[in-house]
Amino acid sequence: MPSKNRLFQKLRARFKARAQDYGMAALEVFLSAAIGFLAGAIALLVLGYDPLKVYEVLFSWGYTDVGYLLLKSTPLILTAIAFSIPALAGVFNIGGESQLYVGALLGLLVAYYIHNAPLAIIVAILGGAGLGLFIALLRVYRGINEVITAIMVNWIMYWLLAYLVTGPFNNPKLPQQSVPVPKSAQIPVFNIGGVNIAGSFILAVIGALVIYYIVFYTETGYIMRVSGLSPATAKYAGFSPEKAILTSMLIGGAAAGFGGALLVLGDVHSIDTTLSAVYGLGFTGIGIGLLGRNNPIGIIFAAIFFSGLLIGGQYVELFLNAPPNLSDFLIGVIVIALSIPYAYRFIISWIKRRRMAK
Amino acid sequence: MITGADIVNLLSSTLISMVPILLASVGEIITEKSGVVNIGLEGIFIISSFAATVVAYYTGDPLLALFVGTLVGSLSGLLHGVISAYLNGDQIIAGVGFNSFSYGLALMIMVALWQSYGSSPTVKTLPMILIPMAGTTLYIPPLAIAAFIIAILVHYWLNKTRSGLKVRACGEDPRSAESMGINVRRTRLYATILGATLTGLGGAYLTVWWIGQFTKFISAGRGFIALANVAFSNWNPLLAILGALIFGFFSALSIFLPLKLQQIYHVQYTAQIYLFNTIPYIATLVIVAFIMKRVRMPRVLGKPYIKE
Repeated sequence: MPSKNRLFQKLRARFKARAQDYGMAALEVFLSAAIGFLAGAIALLVLGYDPLKVYEVLFSWGYTDVGYLLLKSTPLILTAIAFSIPALAGVFNIGGESQLYVGALLGLLVAYYIHNAPLAIIVAILGGAGLGLFIALLRVYRGINEVITAIMVNWIMYWLLAYLVTGPFNNPKLPQQSVPVPKSAQIPVFNIGGVNIAGSFILAVIGALVIYYIVFYTETGYIMRVSGLSPATAKYAGFSPEKAILTSMLIGGAAAGFGGALLVLGDVHSIDTTLSAVYGLGFTGIGIGLLGRNNPIGIIFAAIFFSGLLIGGQYVELFLNAPPNLSDFLIGVIVIALSIPYAYRFIISWIKRRRMAK
Repeated sequence: MITGADIVNLLSSTLISMVPILLASVGEIITEKSGVVNIGLEGIFIISSFAATVVAYYTGDPLLALFVGTLVGSLSGLLHGVISAYLNGDQIIAGVGFNSFSYGLALMIMVALWQSYGSSPTVKTLPMILIPMAGTTLYIPPLAIAAFIIAILVHYWLNKTRSGLKVRACGEDPRSAESMGINVRRTRLYATILGATLTGLGGAYLTVWWIGQFTKFISAGRGFIALANVAFSNWNPLLAILGALIFGFFSALSIFLPLKLQQIYHVQYTAQIYLFNTIPYIATLVIVAFIMKRVRMPRVLGKPYIKE
């Protein structure tokens, strides 16, 4: 097995060369999470809750039902990728929210009318990709900041979706929700070794791995990453940063659309008229993408972590009457803490200098 | 079909809904001219409108509430300013995090105080100027007049005074600014605090001068509409007045149009109301995408200033 051995050596050499980067990244992630939970504890104390009790419920109930945990992390993996791939190319896609809406709606409608899950997924992916591309086109050809466009599109799609599920595609038998995904187009849950693993989760992981391969092992991915780090260098090397932006947003939008379809076909099977099934998944994806260091594999783990926080938050409300929005707060503080890697580096070099002085 | 009263009512709603957008736009222009981008305007609207509601509820004094809400805006600016100017943080990420943070915090406190998940109790609001006109009443929020004056003053300050020039220098060429003896980091911190203070005033206005209640969706993308307005105005406070009036008009239209159409055609809209809610956002997109001319943003906007 010489070739396998060489691959292993290559991987080891690569890891060794980047060990410090990985260590730094792990430290930043760990510190940010710690700051988040510390700030959360302070806020809970001030509001009159016992933070230890809250965290105990959060962690013991958030992560016990593994099957449910993985099912709930499924759309988050893909909205995080929707943020992270454009981020690698230097674009800030906060439109994952509406790209997921479009995927969820198109997936639902195709499933309802044609009873075909694969077709529903493909249409959803195309819809999400189209919306991502729209934002990228405005950025590249009209010079409009993608953040502004994305937020406007998010709100337009939010109200449009609210209209469609309460109006034309409302379920007359259950007026609080949309028409349902028929049994034949639902993605099944498999029992693997006693754990119920959702088929949609497996599909999301496959999707993440495919995107990982594209980003880190193909020329397209390479061009995207170079353009993100330095558009000037990319231009000098004969690449087009504009094209990289378009490609990255196409991939990002496709991922979010895919996530919307998996959510509807594999989990909720219809969209409620208050949109609580879909609202916020795109925004949470941003934090997950950052925590996963914009790496699709890191994102899978970060999504499972955040999804446990969200599930645990529900139980915190149930058992302790504490506010469920603790998870929004925690995610917010963690993201703010992740924005200052320079500060951590500064602290470390300061500690090193002090040690040397001794 | 459109009566004089309709026009007066539309004008009232335009003026009322324009105020927070104009204040936040002018504030963000100051911040961005110094080289810092604060995308957390939405979060500032949420947190300061919530703080104002809490104070108004417990003290019954909307003026004090307005003041505290504004102060909370300043504190948000202090946080973002320290992260951006001193810790060399990623300004966009920090802003996005702040939006989630303030949404979570406000809702947590709302649940803890009032056991409510959607909206707060109603609070007393500050008075508007009322002028009877065309069989109806024209409402003018006093803060609208103040916001116009602030925009004009900021325009004068940024472009015609020494200290304004210093702020702009930090956003155009921080290295040269530093060599001229300007403390770039401190100037950026102050500019960020000032911008967030104006945004906080707009946020407090939302609850204690306009709506009289905090709701989950109180800001409804207004912070981002203000950001769009900054680009639309080409970082010019005077043009930001025009932009805010346009955006305010479309917000007003989204409320006025369904009411008027139902009245004319004798129909009752249900789900269709949601479609009218998209008007301000579609208008913002169209204006930004098609009418906007080539803009020139501050040269080092969003980039941390790292000393050698």
